[in-house]
Amino acid sequence: MDAARYAALFLSESREHLTEVDDALLALERDSTHAHAHANAAATGAHIATVFRGVHTIKGMAAAMGYAAVEQLSHALESRCEPLRSGTEALSGDLLALLFDGTDLVRAAVDAVPSGRTEPTSAMRAFVLQCASASVVAVPPSVAVSTHLDVPMVDSNVASGASGTTRRVDVRLMADSPLKGVRAMIVLAKLSALGAVHDAAPAQERWQDDLFDGAFRLTLHSSSSDDEITAAAQSAGDVARVVVTLATPTPALGSVRVGDAPRTVRLDARRLDTLLDLVGELVITRDRLLRAIEQSDHPDRAVVRAAADAARLVATLQDEVLQARMLPVAQVFDRFPRLVRDIARDLGKDVQFTMEGREIELDRSLLDAIGDPIMHLLRNALDHGFEDADTRRAAGKPASGTLILRAARDRAAVVIQVQDDGRGIDRDVVLRRAREQGLVDAQVTTLADDALLQLVAHPGFSTAKAVTSLSGRGVGVDVVNTRVRALGGQIDLETISGEGTVFTMRLPLTLAIMRALLVQVGGETYAIPAAHVMEVLEFHGASRRTGALTITVRDETVPLVALQQRFEDDPLAPTAAHPDGVRHVAIVEVAGRRTALLVDALLAQQDIVVKPLDAVRGARSWFSGATVLGDGSPALIVDVSSVA
Amino acid sequence: MSRTVLICDDAIFMRTMVGDILTQAGFEIIGEAETGVQAVERYQQLRPDLVTMDIVMPDMGGIDAVREITKLDPGARILMCSAMGQQALVVEAIQAGAKDFVVKPFQPSRVLEAVNRVLAA
Repeated sequence: MDAARYAALFLSESREHLTEVDDALLALERDSTHAHAHANAAATGAHIATVFRGVHTIKGMAAAMGYAAVEQLSHALESRCEPLRSGTEALSGDLLALLFDGTDLVRAAVDAVPSGRTEPTSAMRAFVLQCASASVVAVPPSVAVSTHLDVPMVDSNVASGASGTTRRVDVRLMADSPLKGVRAMIVLAKLSALGAVHDAAPAQERWQDDLFDGAFRLTLHSSSSDDEITAAAQSAGDVARVVVTLATPTPALGSVRVGDAPRTVRLDARRLDTLLDLVGELVITRDRLLRAIEQSDHPDRAVVRAAADAARLVATLQDEVLQARMLPVAQVFDRFPRLVRDIARDLGKDVQFTMEGREIELDRSLLDAIGDPIMHLLRNALDHGFEDADTRRAAGKPASGTLILRAARDRAAVVIQVQDDGRGIDRDVVLRRAREQGLVDAQVTTLADDALLQLVAHPGFSTAKAVTSLSGRGVGVDVVNTRVRALGGQIDLETISGEGTVFTMRLPLTLAIMRALLVQVGGETYAIPAAHVMEVLEFHGASRRTGALTITVRDETVPLVALQQRFEDDPLAPTAAHPDGVRHVAIVEVAGRRTALLVDALLAQQDIVVKPLDAVRGARSWFSGATVLGDGSPALIVDVSSVA
Repeated sequence: MSRTVLICDDAIFMRTMVGDILTQAGFEIIGEAETGVQAVERYQQLRPDLVTMDIVMPDMGGIDAVREITKLDPGARILMCSAMGQQALVVEAIQAGAKDFVVKPFQPSRVLEAVNRVLAA
């Protein structure tokens, strides 16, 4: 693919669309301030359609180019526009302001592309989160889209009269098949061409659910052979497996649905770990194979096809193994209602506790690790978040508080939120306390949500007037923050004075495989978790300020850490690994703090399989684990939070 | 003789990308359309073997264009180009007569698989 040509097309077309979106927003603003707003419903609809189409197109292009910031922002804007477009939400001044802001951010993200900055800044991430939380409220989950394919489902009694036999067709779609519900519909359509389909399990209405995993069973009455049926199902595409069996006429059996009673076997968990390890290595080998083919001048077509097939199968296998390790968060969540009740009673607070998304699944390695952080956040909310009943009534709020623990899937992440409708975090108190502890400059007068999070997550920071037995000892948010970071996740805070606080933890689905930047330091290869890497730059020398080395990145002073110095106590000395003298820095962000890591060379960005590091456990370590690279050599995984 | 394709998408970027993938695989791009209305007109003039159809386009969207084209030619072979999150729209497009779909961002191998499936049916 001619990347430069596509990049140029992306820039010019995105900018064109942004101009159109701006014009449409301006028109909407103009219309909304005029008295004749009602007369213009059609024009308003057209403007909204233009905005929607613009951000949608930009999103599609950015996804194709792998420009994460542009993609995430335009996706957030598109989702935020959806209720407007479908007419379930009216355009308000606030929303219009949000759309203007979002468009500006998309433009900034597009403009940053030529200089190689494609990852979102913290302001951009905050905006995405803001849109996401708003659209959660705007679209009630009960609104199901009616999506039924018009295929006649025949009553089984009628069907048995026709010639042919009744077969049970079990179909499993490939794990990486997109929009599985639609694909299943195409399978159904293909089979309906052979005879009468009656009875689907799960029921067809549930195929469009997020939980539909692409496995379903149809009952088909047809005179076609089993092979013909298999071929027809496979012609729908993305079909991993078809099993055709003669349906037993017993009514009792016929009513048993796939998934109602999954057969289970007990399995030593370590076997799953080993399996995942092996699959991880298979993934790495696949990547090597694909790269080798990409780099060869005249790849053999048959080899390319076989490699592509193998790559798909590996992806499916990886999904299956990861799936086998997934457990519902209910396993952790279910102990909280009792705990919350007890704590609330001790504190004399009246709190309604609800949980959402108990069925959301997470890798079991993560599941073990999230219990404590969630408990901390719940305790914090109960202890500090909620006012007493009188104060609440005086503020016009219901006397009993609402505490929500929520889990949801968002692409390749699981989002866990703890939300209270309490007093919110008092920015003034935090600011005053931070000044006393010397954490902020005296001239700082306002705190944005992420700055606020940094302060409350600062080790030892507490605003609690009295130390209680539960929280307020200055541990809590900092513990949560450290834990979540260590799991490769991130935490966000939103708080509105008088209305409440939402803590959002975003966690990867698994700890076992992660994206990493491979770098060379002193002749050795190290892996830096990509989640922490904001950008990489050429190194053009550092300056020394009050003893510490720093570099300047776009007017911002960033402390510089020479990894080799960290690892070997041999500072900045040039090594044989970079005879030309050109080195790079990776700008990493931990808990909102940026640090530049000096490395000898950048090697690649790729998925790595994380293996725990037993050898140095207990000792002070700059490393969180190790991995084995495609060529069999080991690499240590840099623990960014301890190095930076 | 190579098979002929009409590409319908309002973004030059996407038309270029789909065009590149299909041309490299030996297909002949005989026309492009930027709106649903254009798509219907071009289909009538060109009668291509295959149509790739974006869902979100100005001046008649892709789904309505599928309905119109299927009315003109019930045997029309249309492949929808959709994005994640457009599940309900893709269902509608298939109900309207589209034969298959691919999801952005496009992977060349997946696009070609879908194209070959649609043409083989």
